[in-house]
Order: sequence, then structure tokens, then C-alpha cells
Amino acid sequence: MAAKKKIITLPKVIQIFFYGLALIAVCSLSLLPLVVLFKISIATPEMTMGETLSNFGAFYWDNYRAAWDNSNLGQAVLNSLIITLGALAAVVVASSMAGYAIARYPTWYNRAFYKIILVSMMIPAVLSTVPLYIIMKGINGMNTYWAMILLLAAQTLPFSIFVYTGFIRGVPHEIEEAAIIDGCTPFTAFWHVTFPMLKPVTASIVIIQGVSIWNNYGQAVYFLTKSNMVTIPLSINRFFDKYSANWPQMAAAAIIGILPTIVVFVAFQRYFVKGLTAGAVKG
Amino acid sequence: MTLTKAREKGNWLLNNLHKGMIWPAFLLFLAFVLLPLVFSVGFSFTSWNGLGKADWVGFDNFAVFFQDDRARNAVLNSLLFAGCSVPLLNFLGLGYALLLDKNSTLNKIVKAIVYVPAVISPLIMGYVWLLILKDNYGVLYSLFSLFGNGDAYVNLLGDKNWAMAVIIVVNAFQYVGLTMTIYSAGLQDIPSELYESASVDGANWFQKFTHITIPMLGPSIMINIITNIIGSLAVFDLVVSLTGGGPAYHTETLSLYIYRLAYGGRSGYASAVSVMMFFLIAIPVGISYYIMRKSNLYLNEEK
Amino acid sequence: MKMRKMMMGLAMLALAATGALTGCQKTTGNVELTFLNGKAEVVDWIDAKIKEFEAANPTIKITQEFDKDASSALKTKINGGDIPDITSVYENSLVNGGYYYDMSSFSAWNRVSSSVKELCTDPLTNKQYRLATNKTTAGLFYNKDIFTACGIAAEPATWADFIADVAKIKAQNYIPLYMGGSETWMLGHLMEFWGHGIIKENLGNVAANLAFINNDQTKLNFTGTGSAIKTFATRFLELKDAGCWNSDFVTASYDDQIENFATGKAAMFSQGMWALSKVTAKNPTMASKIGFMPYPSMDESKAPKAVVLSDVDSGYSVMKATKHATEAEKFLNFLWNVDNQKAYCELVSAPSAFTDVDANWSVIKDTVATALSKGFNIGFTSTPSGFGGGECGALIQGLYIGDYTADTFTTKYASDWNAAYNANK
Repeated sequence: MAAKKKIITLPKVIQIFFYGLALIAVCSLSLLPLVVLFKISIATPEMTMGETLSNFGAFYWDNYRAAWDNSNLGQAVLNSLIITLGALAAVVVASSMAGYAIARYPTWYNRAFYKIILVSMMIPAVLSTVPLYIIMKGINGMNTYWAMILLLAAQTLPFSIFVYTGFIRGVPHEIEEAAIIDGCTPFTAFWHVTFPMLKPVTASIVIIQGVSIWNNYGQAVYFLTKSNMVTIPLSINRFFDKYSANWPQMAAAAIIGILPTIVVFVAFQRYFVKGLTAGAVKG
Repeated sequence: MTLTKAREKGNWLLNNLHKGMIWPAFLLFLAFVLLPLVFSVGFSFTSWNGLGKADWVGFDNFAVFFQDDRARNAVLNSLLFAGCSVPLLNFLGLGYALLLDKNSTLNKIVKAIVYVPAVISPLIMGYVWLLILKDNYGVLYSLFSLFGNGDAYVNLLGDKNWAMAVIIVVNAFQYVGLTMTIYSAGLQDIPSELYESASVDGANWFQKFTHITIPMLGPSIMINIITNIIGSLAVFDLVVSLTGGGPAYHTETLSLYIYRLAYGGRSGYASAVSVMMFFLIAIPVGISYYIMRKSNLYLNEEK
Repeated sequence: MKMRKMMMGLAMLALAATGALTGCQKTTGNVELTFLNGKAEVVDWIDAKIKEFEAANPTIKITQEFDKDASSALKTKINGGDIPDITSVYENSLVNGGYYYDMSSFSAWNRVSSSVKELCTDPLTNKQYRLATNKTTAGLFYNKDIFTACGIAAEPATWADFIADVAKIKAQNYIPLYMGGSETWMLGHLMEFWGHGIIKENLGNVAANLAFINNDQTKLNFTGTGSAIKTFATRFLELKDAGCWNSDFVTASYDDQIENFATGKAAMFSQGMWALSKVTAKNPTMASKIGFMPYPSMDESKAPKAVVLSDVDSGYSVMKATKHATEAEKFLNFLWNVDNQKAYCELVSAPSAFTDVDANWSVIKDTVATALSKGFNIGFTSTPSGFGGGECGALIQGLYIGDYTADTFTTKYASDWNAAYNANK
């Protein structure tokens, strides 16, 4: 046994060297798509790929202006913002409350609902497309913000409820009981006391579901058909067909669409890990 | 863990409002998830062509499914994709998590960087990789030309055997951040005393890994494997932008086939195939869950 | 407390914003029309025309909706009860379903050439459910300079000539015929023009069209001896062996095709007139070097003449469900007036169907006229729903990468075609 310990112990310097190399490799692989996208977005339309790659000096920002003007990106950004924020607000409120109900009041119907929710995560979204169209039309929700918000909130409910339930189970119920003794109802106790403690989960929901809603294409493409209602992913795709692969402009539009998600991620990232794991892993 | 009864003073509504807390979620779910689902399953028993009325055909659509070559092709493609992606994502994720385990700021930054690709829409990611891999015009081809021989470049995306491999790898590098995050947190929850006492007992790295790390990571492994199975079997955007399901349907996954069926006017049949897709997902997930429960990896209180 | 207030505030804000914005979208009692358009190139032009029309007709409001796959979008809309008033989509399944408004009595027909009117007439009911404002052509574009450089003095008239020319071009290191093989619709067109062309020339356009619509295999003969499909597959592979296609066939895109031709790397490409403006936009000097010729026949025993596509383009249909047929016709007549059509022809590089519109629709107007007179004119194929250009194109991809031989390709093509036809009866 003692002999095995001596097998491979490299000098500290070499260990650090390989470690650093590994980190650089990891970062490069992850950032490669963004770097390529960025480089293309600052290239002139006439440049070949070789020139684009070796271009380290010239920043042709006009692509951004052109992309913004040509595909009505401004309106699309606004639409994406409204829908994403609205849906996030709705899903956070609805799923945290549902998680509270399931975790604190495990009646048979609450638990049944929970199980159905879990199973529904396995159902491919594509299954619901046509009936959804009929429903959306029936409630006069086509090309409206409110219907889109409710739809996307509904679709992101399962995972959110799952995570909230798991996390709330880990929060001692004495906290709410103390608040109730102080005069709160169970409802207000949740909002005053429990919800603030759910910050990590809320943060992880904002990141994961927020990104998913922001990038949503599969539903938006059916229900937001008027040009003044499109969101960023739709806008970029139309752009593609109309201007058939003006890659620099498309890249610029894509970067404009990605920036907010990165900003939000960086902002909420601290709580993200805690929330995700406490909710998902321990739940 | 139930709460003690609320105080009886005050408004009945306020005191009982908490009983309605599940309703917003329930109603939303009912209207936008459950109802469409029921409709869809209903459509799967009809020959609806996307226009006008639908005729009842019973289980015909399902019978057709089992004889449909293109459906079989799509199922195999989806299975291949998931079968390769799930292990890849988990090995990479665990590897990254182990590499970046120490709680240094540097590691935190690198972990954040690793996660960034996951916030990019898979549609865009596909287009970016298309630009990187394209024959004659892509980034890699240009590099090959720059450093000598453009002809040596292999058009991977056009090769019926390699196209799927490309999609698998691109997908893995986009979502490894998520698997890694879950493993990271799982790793940090393992009490260091376990490792210390194992060292005292003379265990080497490998033994510590297999006897402490893996078992303690049980919940993380299960979450990752299940979410990865579901996500991989449903992959769509990436395939559309990277290969469009080609060449000649060699990368057409089930979700893409269903989408095309619905678009092509065979909505009844598309619904039936979607129902089959649900089973395709549910079976592996069920098996994984069962295996992990049995091997006691999932250390959690009964719900 | 703060957190909750903030969340509530956010929720309120979101709801208020949506309320305000949905409020802004309320109608004001005017006549409202929607136009579902699938033609990307003309979206901006139509928007501009809509503005002009609305200025002159303040009680009529028109919204254009663009969808790359307008055909599927239309079907989804019909299901959802959200039927547009006007559309560019025209499909047999919709005609048979009775979804179109009968436009036969529109006054505009007086100005339309008889050949176009005939092409717009539904063979089963003898009525018109769409009005096409342009004709379009498709064939082989070629680079005159490259032909000269390779020693090709005249356009190939027979298949033997064509193969010989391909060899000459290959010898000089140009790409003979560049295809954007990743775009299955393009490959589908190849079959429609070159492959089905044999059938269409053989039977004549009207009879052929009827045979396709009714899937009359006694006439179409997909699997019998001398099958046009098998001929196509065999010739396709022949061309492949001769090095005719670009090496990145299966991953090349439409843009790559334009790029390669415009920069003088490719000698020929197969497309319709719609591609011309893209080429000249990329390289204006090409305008003087572009030649245009029909497809040499793949089976001279059945169809000796070279074929060229000449069919209608830019069709407009009114949906039966519209509540404002008069206003729709008014708008369409505005779009169809002489000045607007002149500009439109130049925009889409296509000659007008209107007898009173004379536009300089393309720099190679005369070359095209020559090709049309040299070759046998054929129309598009009415493919069954579910087996259109895209699906056919995917099979051709398979043929290219070796999934099929000419024989197995033919069998698969026929069985898929029949299956799609039967599924939609």
C-alpha cells in the first residue's frame, strides 16, 4: 500500500502548469462560439472568413446599427423584455405558492398534482402545438402579450414547482409558525417570512427559466405573427430569410439578443448554484 | 410537516387564503398544458390532416408508426443522440466539477464561463457552429487553408456518419455547464471528514472516488441523468440549425420528424408519433429512476 | 417585507404594461384586412404599397404577415379560425377544400394574358382562385466567359453535348454545375424541371398536370420501364461520376451557390429568374456575362426537346372566409395597377402577366426569350401534400451520398409519392 502512494507526485510547479492549461482549454472551448460570433459581427459583409478571423483591429460596428434598423430589433427587444419579465413574475409567484402548498400541506390532491407535474416534464412540447393554437385563438390571445406570458409561464411551471417544493421542504416550518403566532395568516407568513428565504431558488429560476423564455422560439413562432409583436429569436430568424445570410448582421443581432441573458446570469449567479442544488438535488 | 392551525381571529378570507395558493399554478397548468395534451392524444386517434374535420381511425396511426421507415429512423437517431449525449454530458460535467472543485475565485469565474454557452439559444449556437465547420467557408476550413492544405479538410456535416457526432459534441459543450453545476454543489456537500478518515485508512485516490464520491453524489447523478435523458430525446433547435436533419434524414430526430409531419399536414399522425415519443422518454427515465432507487443511490426521505 | 413588495410591484408593473399595450391594439371600427405573404423578397415593397393605399383609403387598414413557410402558417390559421383575407399561398388541397374565394369575376382578368389565365385556372372546376401577376422562368444559368475559356462554342443541345461540356469545364478546374444541396427545395426543383420535364414534354402540360393531380400512374409511369424517375437518378449519378457537382454538395447553401457563380468559380447553376438579382447584387459585372439555357433532355427517346420552366409566379388569392371581398379586390387592383406592376417586375426580375405592363424586368430579358423559344415550356409539378420538393430533395441527398442506387431510389420515390397521395385523398 505504501508503495502506491509514490506513483505520480509531480512537482508542484508542473501540477499548477497542467492545471492552468486545463483551465485555459476549458475556457476556450466554452467561449469559442461567442468569440467567433463576435468576430463575425464586427466584420464587413465583403470579408472572407479568413479575413474575419485575422481581423484584430477594425471594428465594423455598423453591422449593429444595420441589424437594429433592418429587423426592427428595437421593438423585438421590447417585446422580449415584456414577455420575459411578465412570465417570470407569473411563474415565480405561481410556483412558489404551489411549492409552499405542496410542501406544507401534503394533501392527496396536492401530492397528486405534484406527481402529474413531474410526469409532464417528460412530455415533449411539440405535442401541444395545434391544440394550443385552437385554445389561443379561442381566448383571443393571438398576438397579445398577456396570452404569451401566461402560456410561457405555464410551460415553465413544472421545473419551477419541483425546485421550490424541494427547497421549501428544507426550510423549517417553525419559521412560519413563529410568524403566525405573531399575528400573520399562513398566507402572509409565506410572503413575509418564507419567500425572502427562497432567494437562491428564485435566482436559479430566473436564470434557467428566464433564459428559456427569452430564447423561446417553438411557441412564439406560432402565436406572435404580426411584425410588431415578434420577439428577438423570431426577429433574428426572419432576418435570416429576408437577407439570406448576411452573416455579419445576423451575428450582430444575435449578440444583441444574447447580451441581456449574460448580464442577468452574471447578476444572479451567486445564488444560482445554491438554489438549484438545494431545490433540485435535496428535494 | 404541517403547520399548526392559524389563529381564528380576523377575516375568514385572509385566514384561509393559503388554501388557494396552489390554484394559480393549477389553473395555468390545466389551461395551457393539460388541456392541449388531452386534445392531442385525442387527435392521435384521428386522420386529421390539419384542415377541417377529423375522422376517427382508432389505433391505425399507431400501427402505421411501427411500419414507418422514417419514424424508425428518427427513433434510432434520437436514441443514438441521447445514448451518447447523456454519458458525455455526465462525464464531462463531473470532470469539470472535479477539476474546479476548490473554492477559489478563479474556479468560480471559470465555472461561470463554462455555464455561459447554456444561456445562448441553441438555434444560434447551431448557426455559429455551422459557420465554424462549414466546408469551403467556415472557420476551421479557413484555418486549414491558412496553414497549408484546404483540401485536407473533411466536411463533417456532410458525412452521414459524422454529422450526428458533431451535433452530439456541440450539444455537450453547450450544456455541460448545467451538469457541472449540479455535480459541483453535490461535491461540496460531501463532508471532508469522510475523505480524511479514508486517507487515514490508507485509501488511494481511486478508492476514495469510487467509495465516497460516487455514492454521495447519488442525488446529483440521478437529477443529471434524468434531465439529460429528457432534454436529449427532445433535442430540436440545434438539429434544425446545424444540419436540418440531413444529409438525407441521417440526423433527423423524432422531434424534428413530428414537427415536419404536423407542418406537412398529417396532424393526426403527428400527434400519434408524439404520444410514442412520450413513451420513448418515459421508459428510460423510469428505468433509470428504478435502478437508482434500487441501488440505494438516491438517499432521500420518502415523499 | 421589502422583497414581497418588490415582487408584487414587479407583477403589477408587468400586468399594467400588458394591459396598456393590449389596449393600444384595439380596433377602431375600420375595415381591417390581413395579407399572409410567403415571398420574402417583396415584403418591404408590399409594406410600402400598403402605406400608400391606406393614405388614399383611410377607412381600410391592412396588415401584412410574413411567414417563410406561409403554406403551413395558412393551414394552422385556418384551423385556429384566424383566416387572413388575402394570401400569396395557393395549393391544391386548399382549392379542393373550398377555402378560396372565386376570383373569376374580377375585372383585372381583362388585362391578363390568356396563357397566364389558363395557368391560373383550376383544371377541376374551370374557375380562377388566384391571379398571378408574373411569369417566371427557370433553367440553367451559365457564365459565358467560362464557356469560352473551356472551348465551348455553343449551348449544349443534347445530353451527349452536355456531358462533353461538363468534362471540358472540369478539365479547366471550374465547378461545372453548382448546387446548394443542403436546401432540399432546390434539389426538389431539379427533379421537377429535369426529371418530371420528361413526363411533361411527353404528355403535354395540361395532360401531365391532370395526371399528377390524379396520380395516374398509367401515364406517370414512375416504376415501369423507361421511368422518368429512374432516368433522372441514372443521369444524376452519371453527372456525379463525371465530377459535375460541387464537392460540398450536401452542405452547400443557396448563398454559396450565388457566391460561387458570382465570383466565377462555377460555370453553371440551376435556378429560376428569382436568383438573378442576387447574382448581380453580389457582382454587377456578371450581368453582361450571364447566359441562360434550357435543360438538355435526359431522355431523348421520349422527350427530344430541351425543357425550360415557364410558369406563373406572384399569385394572389382571396380567402372565401373574408368578410371584405370588395375592399380586398380594391387593394389588389391598386397593387396591380400599371405603375406598381412595372416596379414589381423590376423588383422580382420577372415579366408581367398584364398585357399593358411593359417593364425592363431584367438585363437578360432577350436571352431568356431565346431560351423560351428554344426549349419546351413546362410548368411546376402539383406534388401531393407531404411529398413536396423538400422530401424529394432529401431523397436526392440520399442518392448523392450513396444511400440509394438508381433502382432503389426509383422504388423509394414512387412508394413515398404514392403513400403521400393516398394519405391525403
